[in-house]
Amino acid sequence: MDTLKVRDAQEVEDAVRAAIANEQPLEIIGHGTKRRVGQPMATNALLDLSALNAVTAYEPNELIITVQAGAPVADVLSLIDSKNQQFAFEPMHTALLLGTAETEGTIGGMIAAGLAGPRRIKSGGARDHLLGAHAVSGFGESFKAGGKVVKNVTGYDLCKLLAGSWGTLAVMTEVTLKVTPRPESERTLLLRGLDDVAANKAMTQALGSPYDVSGAAHLPGSALRTTGGALADIAQPDQALTLLRLEGITSSASQRAESLRAALNSFGAAELVADATSAALWRAVRDVEPFAASGPRALWPVWRIVCPPASGGAFGQALQRESGGEVIYDWGGGLIWAALPPAADAHAKALRQRVDKIGGHASLIRGADEIRAGIDVFQPQASGLAALGQRVKHSFDPRNVLNRGRLSRGPAA
Amino acid sequence: MTILMPEPDQAVLARRDEIVASLRKIVPGEGVISSAAEMKPYESDGLMAYRQPPMVVVLPSTTQQVSEVLRYCHQHGIKVVPRGSGTSLSGGALPLADAVLLGLGKFKRIREIDFDNRAVVVEPGVTNLAISQAVDHAGFYYAPDPSSQIACSIGGNIAENSGGVHCLKYGMTTNNVLGCEIVLMTGEILRIGGKAAECAGYDLMGVITGSEGLLGVITEVTVRILRKPETARALMVGFTDVEAAGQCVADIISAGIIPGGMEMMDKPAIHAAEAFVHAGYPLDVEALLIIELDGPQVEVDELITRVETIALGCGSTTCQISTSEQERLLFWSGRKAAFPAVGRISPDYLCMDGTIPRKELPLVLRRMTEMSEKYGLRVANVFHAGDGNLHPLILYDANQPGEQDRAEAFGADILRLCVEVGGVLTGEHGVGIEKRDLMPEMFSDIDLNQQQRLKCAFDSEGLLNPGKVFPTLHRCAELGRMHVHGGKLPFPDIPRF
Repeated sequence: MDTLKVRDAQEVEDAVRAAIANEQPLEIIGHGTKRRVGQPMATNALLDLSALNAVTAYEPNELIITVQAGAPVADVLSLIDSKNQQFAFEPMHTALLLGTAETEGTIGGMIAAGLAGPRRIKSGGARDHLLGAHAVSGFGESFKAGGKVVKNVTGYDLCKLLAGSWGTLAVMTEVTLKVTPRPESERTLLLRGLDDVAANKAMTQALGSPYDVSGAAHLPGSALRTTGGALADIAQPDQALTLLRLEGITSSASQRAESLRAALNSFGAAELVADATSAALWRAVRDVEPFAASGPRALWPVWRIVCPPASGGAFGQALQRESGGEVIYDWGGGLIWAALPPAADAHAKALRQRVDKIGGHASLIRGADEIRAGIDVFQPQASGLAALGQRVKHSFDPRNVLNRGRLSRGPAA
Repeated sequence: MTILMPEPDQAVLARRDEIVASLRKIVPGEGVISSAAEMKPYESDGLMAYRQPPMVVVLPSTTQQVSEVLRYCHQHGIKVVPRGSGTSLSGGALPLADAVLLGLGKFKRIREIDFDNRAVVVEPGVTNLAISQAVDHAGFYYAPDPSSQIACSIGGNIAENSGGVHCLKYGMTTNNVLGCEIVLMTGEILRIGGKAAECAGYDLMGVITGSEGLLGVITEVTVRILRKPETARALMVGFTDVEAAGQCVADIISAGIIPGGMEMMDKPAIHAAEAFVHAGYPLDVEALLIIELDGPQVEVDELITRVETIALGCGSTTCQISTSEQERLLFWSGRKAAFPAVGRISPDYLCMDGTIPRKELPLVLRRMTEMSEKYGLRVANVFHAGDGNLHPLILYDANQPGEQDRAEAFGADILRLCVEVGGVLTGEHGVGIEKRDLMPEMFSDIDLNQQQRLKCAFDSEGLLNPGKVFPTLHRCAELGRMHVHGGKLPFPDIPRF
């Protein structure tokens, strides 16, 4: 397969135009860390953005950074970290789960995948932090969307569509992202031994409290049994862990932790961990360490289920019981990562029937090529909505030359 | 009127009686308004310099009726202008002579409050403030707070992606909505998202929010609610020059502090507000900052002290900290009354709404002063300082021949300046008709074509709210045409590695 390593936006435009003229659909990659997410694609060439890796402008006081899409996430994170800033949506580092090389990927991939971490419940997702973009559409035209300021309603907010579109609408060449101050300190309360439904209740109560909880996760004992790292250091055999995070200035975080501990008294006596220890736990949750590709669950397909948060516990409990799988919960129950025992359809049918009923949706984030080829990797939508999605795709990429076939098994996308 | 609207379709106007009769079959009784006198209140929205009686007003009360009205209009090629409470400051709900004005005012019900999922399901005609009031007893609120929140509807907030003074910390409408029921121009009813944090597929909710009523008609909304902060306190800080005030804002943010609200007023705005509400504003300063910290008591107390230290370090000449809720509200009273306060000192005013990189504030204010002299019109500035969103108020008298045109030209110059320094045409009021013709200042033809292609995915005939947002309308077939002159060789001229 040809690889086109482009050096600037003009070359991206040329490549897309050639792809249209020659009917050669392109697979768009940065570092290629998430290539195996989605339906197997029907593409003939790779469009490699990794050489578009410059930081165009970083203005900490304006709370924005503009970078080319191929800029390595790790470099950008360390740059903004040097000014005590962060991407508040806590982008997931997928290498551990997907078993890819130890790179955090590129900014373009981070936005196109839109996989937000634990702080999503407080600060929103990738879509809430993409302020502007330059991109090349499937018409082979460079266009601009949004702006380079934090508050802007000029024209349609096309950035929302680009975030989480898995590269199927346009090739982003440069993005402007919102950055925010990194909290001074963090505290995490640990509750032990709760079942999933009780933990869901504890998280719901915490998120409905005035203590400004910025992370609410639950790891059942079964998922902790085989894990290593920070979680293993703190876990007891076969005992679930429920984590609640409070961030901010030190005096505030510690006082809120005490208040929340008292408020959750009926769920047990919470332990407290701080700063580096706390941060390591949340990284493990964000990156789904219990289901790491290097661990004992390497061969199990892994689903990402997004649902109304208060329904998560009961849903996850039933899913484990019926499939024999394991789950961890984030977003107060609103995000469930499920590793299910190997099956021909990765349990897609049973899972989707169940998730539909609670108003959620499920995506297979890790699965072998042959499994992904045989099922809907992303949640199929009701026909009217699916048709609108197709028309939206068509409005950006009518010849379907960008990541063809990645989002659905349908004839055109 | 200096802004041209699409030519009315005479064939549609000729069929008006038949259209009215057909609409009455869909929405019985008082739901169809066709007499000139009764349509009067619908002639204008918050951009009151522009007026246009609609062909007919329809006020449906069910999603089914909305769907049938749209389907009928789609079948017969009739334009539709949706309207919430009519508070748009950019003319987003300005009627068209040959269009049905579709008012959502009867959709007033709060359908569900779900504290466990921190979500509220409402009909689009519910006011912004009513959502907060409905959940207040449990200590929750809906965060976006546009200054018209007592009147503006949540459906209109979605259309405009409304902001408010607390956006920097809590986000705009788009960051606080989860899902909706929407009716497309064809009458098709779709449900997007729900109580989950993200919807499946493309983020359609994200692009519908802020689409100014051009993509569909919202008939139900699910919003996210938050616990109210434990407490809030404010500082009122005066500076003898604007640059020091701007530096103070930058220093607060670089210290890692995101205040709940951070507002700036310039001298004319301070004087107008003080004369109106007697908030105790210092009159000998060039810029006044009102900075509000909200959150847990212990945090607010500590941050207030940090902000005070920063303000003094930037050379503030006055710095007062609220010691009671009453005093906090007093600090805000002048800012919140700034628009009517300016209304007292001038027969008319235009409220502009651009965003700039904050560092450009001194330059922008200086240039605005020059423009003020050039146009012979006064200007007062209120400014969401934290996020760079400027609201210059241009004072004029519509009864003086030529003044409105001059005011509009002045406003356009300000917005051009915003774009020139790296900002945008509108931070929260929307493009509507007001800034429509300035869109090419910010976007190329290609950029605008891509936006209009998206419109085609939702409304291929261009019947929904035409004449808004886009200066030039194109047919969808034309926009969809591909102009590619590719060679026979695969990927010519591209280096290979």
